[in-house]
Amino acid sequence: MLTAKHKVGLIFFPAFDWCITPDHPEREERLLYTRDQILEEGLLDVEGIEEYRPFVAEDKDILRAHVCVPSVAARVTESHRIAVGGTMLAADLVLDKKVDRAFALLRPPGHHAMRIVHGSRGFCTVNNEAIMVEHIRHRLSPKTRIAIVDTDAHHADGTQDIFYNDPGILHISIHQDGRTLYPGTGDVQERGGPAAYGQTVNIPLPPGTGDEGLLYVMEKAVMPILADWEPDIIINAAGQDNHFTDPLTHMNVSARGYARLTDMLGPDIVVLEGGYSIEGGLPYVNVGILLALAGLDYSHVKEPVPQPTQPPQVMGQIERITETVMRAWATRDQVDRSRLFGEGEYFQRHRAIYYDTDNLLEEQRELIRLCPDCSGWRLIYSKASGYYSSLTSRGQIAAVVIPWLACPKCRAEAEDKYELIAKEGRCRQVFLQDVARDAFTNWRK
Amino acid sequence: MDIIGIDVGGTNTDAAFIRHGRVVGMAKVPTNHEDLIESTKQAMNEIMAYYATSGQVQLHLSTTLSTNAIIEGTGSPAAALGMPGPGVNLAALDLGFPFFPLGGYIDHRGREVAELNEGEVLAAAKEAKRAGAEALAIAGKFSHRNPVHEQRAGALVAASGLGFSNVTLGHRLSGRANFPRRVVTAYLNSRVASLQTHFCRIIENLLEMEKYRAIREVLILKADGGTMSLEESCQLPVETILSGPAASILGAQALSKHTQENAVIVDIGGTTTDIAVIVAGEPLYQRRGADIAGYRTLVPALFTRSIGLGGDSEVHVQVEEGEVRFRLGPRRAGTPAAMGGSRPTPTDAAVALEMARIGDRGRARECIKELAEPLGLSWRQAAQGIIEAFTGQLVEEVRAIYQRLAGIPLYTVSEILAPPDFHPRVMVGLGGPAQVFIPLAAKLMGLPWEILPFSEGANAIGAAAARPTAAITLHADTELEVLTIPEIGYHGRIDRALLFDRQRARQEALRQAASYAQRLGLPDHEDVYIVEEESFNVVRGFHTVGRIHSIRAQLRPRVRRIEVTEDIADGKA
Ligand SMILES: [Zn+2]
Ligand SMILES: [Zn+2]
Repeated sequence: MLTAKHKVGLIFFPAFDWCITPDHPEREERLLYTRDQILEEGLLDVEGIEEYRPFVAEDKDILRAHVCVPSVAARVTESHRIAVGGTMLAADLVLDKKVDRAFALLRPPGHHAMRIVHGSRGFCTVNNEAIMVEHIRHRLSPKTRIAIVDTDAHHADGTQDIFYNDPGILHISIHQDGRTLYPGTGDVQERGGPAAYGQTVNIPLPPGTGDEGLLYVMEKAVMPILADWEPDIIINAAGQDNHFTDPLTHMNVSARGYARLTDMLGPDIVVLEGGYSIEGGLPYVNVGILLALAGLDYSHVKEPVPQPTQPPQVMGQIERITETVMRAWATRDQVDRSRLFGEGEYFQRHRAIYYDTDNLLEEQRELIRLCPDCSGWRLIYSKASGYYSSLTSRGQIAAVVIPWLACPKCRAEAEDKYELIAKEGRCRQVFLQDVARDAFTNWRK
Repeated sequence: MDIIGIDVGGTNTDAAFIRHGRVVGMAKVPTNHEDLIESTKQAMNEIMAYYATSGQVQLHLSTTLSTNAIIEGTGSPAAALGMPGPGVNLAALDLGFPFFPLGGYIDHRGREVAELNEGEVLAAAKEAKRAGAEALAIAGKFSHRNPVHEQRAGALVAASGLGFSNVTLGHRLSGRANFPRRVVTAYLNSRVASLQTHFCRIIENLLEMEKYRAIREVLILKADGGTMSLEESCQLPVETILSGPAASILGAQALSKHTQENAVIVDIGGTTTDIAVIVAGEPLYQRRGADIAGYRTLVPALFTRSIGLGGDSEVHVQVEEGEVRFRLGPRRAGTPAAMGGSRPTPTDAAVALEMARIGDRGRARECIKELAEPLGLSWRQAAQGIIEAFTGQLVEEVRAIYQRLAGIPLYTVSEILAPPDFHPRVMVGLGGPAQVFIPLAAKLMGLPWEILPFSEGANAIGAAAARPTAAITLHADTELEVLTIPEIGYHGRIDRALLFDRQRARQEALRQAASYAQRLGLPDHEDVYIVEEESFNVVRGFHTVGRIHSIRAQLRPRVRRIEVTEDIADGKA
């Protein structure tokens, strides 16, 4: 019988009775073949791999990371709550030292879900990793340093949005170049907000990247950056759509490549994200990741179909991207932030966010208080409407965000602002998100 | 018809004679480990004393033959040929027996990815034979989805003239996934096949004898609490493992008044206590299959947890901050002092306190007193402490079992929102010390209790109460147009696959289960039902191109209700 070198908690929740629509890639049988493969390989009999049942997350768990418009109940299904609960459980198992590492192998995914939630985008409604991160900080300390390494083929724009100005988080996203794939973002130049500049690290890879290229950036960029930043906890948002058989992307990574990545990274917690090659990719990738996490031999994991080789010109491009990323990392503290974010009281940005799954367009204006004493409170004005018709607009909302470790001045300003906007009555709904006090209130017209 | 139930256990061989659903006689002989047949014969002779002068008798036999062979490493020397394909590195897996990995593999949909290498099969079989294997197991990964490689390899070995006494094909043993368990199960089956066949031949010869003339049929107990025919037991001898514990659970079920409820069955013996779980009147199964002597198998088995706690357990003393605590087991101290032993046991505590009326009360008190005095306790305090410790440890174990059950993984939203209810409504106790400890343990858990009328021999009654079980697993893939039923070795095309919907799949599974049961010669073979069912789309691009139906159908498992005439029950016989 096999014995794991690292004790692994597996939270497997395939949600066999849940889909976006029956023909949608995010459908009932997405993890069916993965289950079959894991069972047939006998992995659940391995000494040191223990399976756990997820719990159902409550509104408050979700509200630590999100502002759901108009409410959590209106936006999330029970399936989302279970995926969130399973991801939180993964963290609990590690924090309680019941296991060395945990793998939340579950759906629906979450990494495209941003702080403000009007609906679903990129098959995601709420962000499993982000909610888990806030759960960890809520349990341990807001000073816990957490690194998220997102290895999904799509840019983790939701996670990036949530931790964009968070000095406690290092967010690294490796993905297929946004110029060739949804959601289009994730350029090297997106490096974070005024209070966390440089801690958003984007590594866009050219289509065709295989094991060699992916492991190159892991070795030359991700691992040195992690060593430099010294996180307390490493989370891997393990999307599996870099696999060479994935129908939605154009990458050439194999199951063994994913296993080697996992082995190299040694994450505390792994959370499944995307990956829609449900027959030819996922069963093998998941077996590879599980074996690597447990410290077992994954060298015999192999897909039935041969892996295409990485096109020769790709390596040169990857080397240049890696160089750019590392230069940006090394010089992140030398950048003149006043040039990037201005010298006023607030930094302001405008964005249009498209919700492909629900076909909504959100217009957002965000103000971040440039505070010398903390990461600054934030105010987000947001309005979502049906993409083809402004008639279906749901009206403007506002969200006031008090970050972890906010200074007293920022806290007071934020609280005043919340009252004021509510009193003005121009917004349909006003939210106050206060993680430090674990208080999430809203005012409705 | 009369039924004789015999359970050849580790220490004793118990027998029960059942007529018209009532126990009319019991017998017990010590088990002779060197000759289980002899023990069986002795028990048969004694129990046949209750035979009236006419009528037919059915003999239900539960033996430790295979269990012992597996635990002791006897049986035929055997080896396994396997088609592991890529995945977990089986070389790193110490199976504990010769394993020859071969090329060729089947994927999770049952598609052949790489062909079987026939030369390799024969070379490996020859090598296994040369190394001393007399029996051979052949198992492939995903052979439950497509058995052709196993079947082809089996045919090659059969035609090779290598003369293995048994060749077991993995897919015939179970429709469930788990390749390492499949290899192990096939290996164990091949190892004990000759033993079982020999045993069956002897039993058949016995039945030729005049004194056993009334015994018309012999059924063999399985780990799942069901029976199978003698002939079938020669094909699938591995299924007879752990039939003893299953027989005890059946005995409790057959005798209990609580037939439809959730219940916890607690069988307290001298050395161990066995705990089983009943959910809505049906015993709970081991999740993946029976585990025996470090081997993990796919053999369907009733769930039971055995703990080192019993009437004869060792009594340990811990003194923490001036407070005396007792801890019992896991080893046996020996015969209780009340019955002539020298060391105090939980039984002595019960006897001393007059909770049990057996043996010599004076000796029990004296022995407890010797333990109590250096601790600054009276014999009464120490005895009460031991009783409380026993009850506490038992309840702790029972709670741990239910805590684990409350956390078993579930894969659908609806199940997570409404998880199955395992929680017991009653504690059913059996075994000698049950009278003492069951009321206390049940009270601690806030449960009503029932104590069964037999402290011994419930296993034999359970053997008699057993009915046949048979199950098939149908896997239909309408995109590939393939239907597989591993238990009967069927792998064929689905005609008009587009029309093979869920309803058709269900009908087919029920039909196949019934005809399987009929072929096995089982009564009530039409009484089949679906126990597990899955149905998924197969989508290519954005179009549904087929469905996968996976259905497990089985003969309805039943237990005969058995009543006890007053004069047979405990203490009055
Ligand atoms: Zn993705
Ligand atoms: Zn501040």
